Amino acid sequence: MAATAFARPATVAEALAALAGGGGRWTPVAGGTDLLVRVRDGARPGGLLDLTGIEALRGIREEAGALRIGALATHAEVAAHEVVRKHAAALAEAATVVGSPAIRNRGTIGGNLANASPAADLVPPLVALGAVVEIAGPDGCREVAAEALATGPGRTVLVPGELIAAARVPLPGPGRTSAFRRLGARRALAIAKVSVAVAATVWRDGALSGVRVALGAVAPTVIRAAAAEAALEGRVPSPDVLAEAEAAVRTDARPITDIRSNETWRREMCAVLLRRAVSALAGAHARSGD
Amino acid sequence: MKVTVNGREVETAPDPCRRLLDFLREDQGLAGTKEGCGKGECGACAVLLDGRLVNSCLVLLGQCEGASVETIEGVAGTALHPVQEAMLQLGAVQCGFCTPGLVMASVALLRENPSPTPAEVRRGIEGNLCRCTGYVKVEAAVLDAARRMREA
Ligand SMILES: Cc1cc2nc3c(=O)[nH]c(=O)nc-3n(C[C@H](O)[C@H](O)[C@H](O)COP(=O)(O)OP(=O)(O)OC[C@H]3O[C@@H](n4cnc5c(N)ncnc54)[C@H](O)[C@@H]3O)c2cc1C
Ligand code: FES
Ligand code: FES
Repeated sequence: MAATAFARPATVAEALAALAGGGGRWTPVAGGTDLLVRVRDGARPGGLLDLTGIEALRGIREEAGALRIGALATHAEVAAHEVVRKHAAALAEAATVVGSPAIRNRGTIGGNLANASPAADLVPPLVALGAVVEIAGPDGCREVAAEALATGPGRTVLVPGELIAAARVPLPGPGRTSAFRRLGARRALAIAKVSVAVAATVWRDGALSGVRVALGAVAPTVIRAAAAEAALEGRVPSPDVLAEAEAAVRTDARPITDIRSNETWRREMCAVLLRRAVSALAGAHARSGD
Repeated sequence: MKVTVNGREVETAPDPCRRLLDFLREDQGLAGTKEGCGKGECGACAVLLDGRLVNSCLVLLGQCEGASVETIEGVAGTALHPVQEAMLQLGAVQCGFCTPGLVMASVALLRENPSPTPAEVRRGIEGNLCRCTGYVKVEAAVLDAARRMREA
């Protein structure tokens, strides 16, 4: 392959120093499941800065009321992690359906975020769960809400010299649950055509509050579905309320027609997936019994 | 740099940007690992890296410093691996191009889950494309191998 340089720093500080001194030469690589496909298609980065030797970017742990998921955590690790499954169900569900076993063993949450695909599967759950992205740079650490990280397809607020260090997902209060639903052309190895993540607190009477809905693959970035959130907020998701929320989410979506699907179909699928995700919330709540 | 390939430590003065796939096939002469798509979509290049299934077309050699790689050549001992036996006996191989990758995916699955359900077998091999067999016999072979391994 034609990349001229390769470096494998052992610490975040070394990685940041390389980026700072590299004059834009270095492209970070983690699992390589996006980047090395681009290289195969002809991209020629000047140098590859391999992050996979940086221990501090690994691991998932509870810290100060949140779940801190290191940028190098793989989809397989996220999907299997007990606390993620219990407290961030939507994220675990999304990590479970990414690609294939080999892709899940290699692809990372940091790469999924940095790649900024509107169809990235982990992003709608992170947005719905109110996650924060920790960014390490030459001037220290800063934090950006997951929903504010991407600015367009393949573009983020990261500036040269910065790295994603982790995603922090707040640990939920009692009754708070989440769910993720997606559609692709087939079960495996197909990127999402539409995906929906929902997080909410389900009250004893079945009413929802603090509703957050995120949509994938129906706009240039993952977006919040404000009208659908408003239609569900404070209400029991009865058939009437769900119908209202479905009508609302069709207007929240801003899909395009492309080679994978047309616009009308995508709007309609947002409605279907929203209904399924909200029903899953109610079901998860009934099973947990709080 | 050091990489362990099928239990043997290999010292290389390598190009770290070389794909693990090319290192195995061209430098190590281990041509059992195949290249189908080169993009992570077919699983023909699947190997185990530190025990985990990966597509070697999407791994750089430089990322394997100190790691242990297991390829199809390392799967059989003096006898074939039960997955290989079962695939032969149940006719799960036609042209065979996908077979090394399917064997690696199945071996990885059975190490983690010695008693998979048919649905779990399908999920375990969902990253492997076969253009000949239609997967039915492959699934039967993996289930059969699981049974043999449990009984052994
Ligand atoms: C066959 C196949 C199927 C796939 N299926 C899915 C799917 O179903 N759903 C899905 O969401 N994705 C899918 N993907 C895409 C990909 O696997 C994921 O987006 C994965 O999470 C990317 O992570 P990575 O570590 O491999 O990223 P890399 O390829 O290493 O990097 C991706 C980009 O992010 C940058 N980057 C990586 N880590 C950092 C960091 N810590 N800080 C700053 N920048 C960083 C890199 O410079 C690069 O630009 C698939 C890919 C393939 C090849
Ligand atoms: S050649 Fe690696 S997945 Fe197809
Ligand atoms: S046997 Fe020919 S591709 Fe699978």
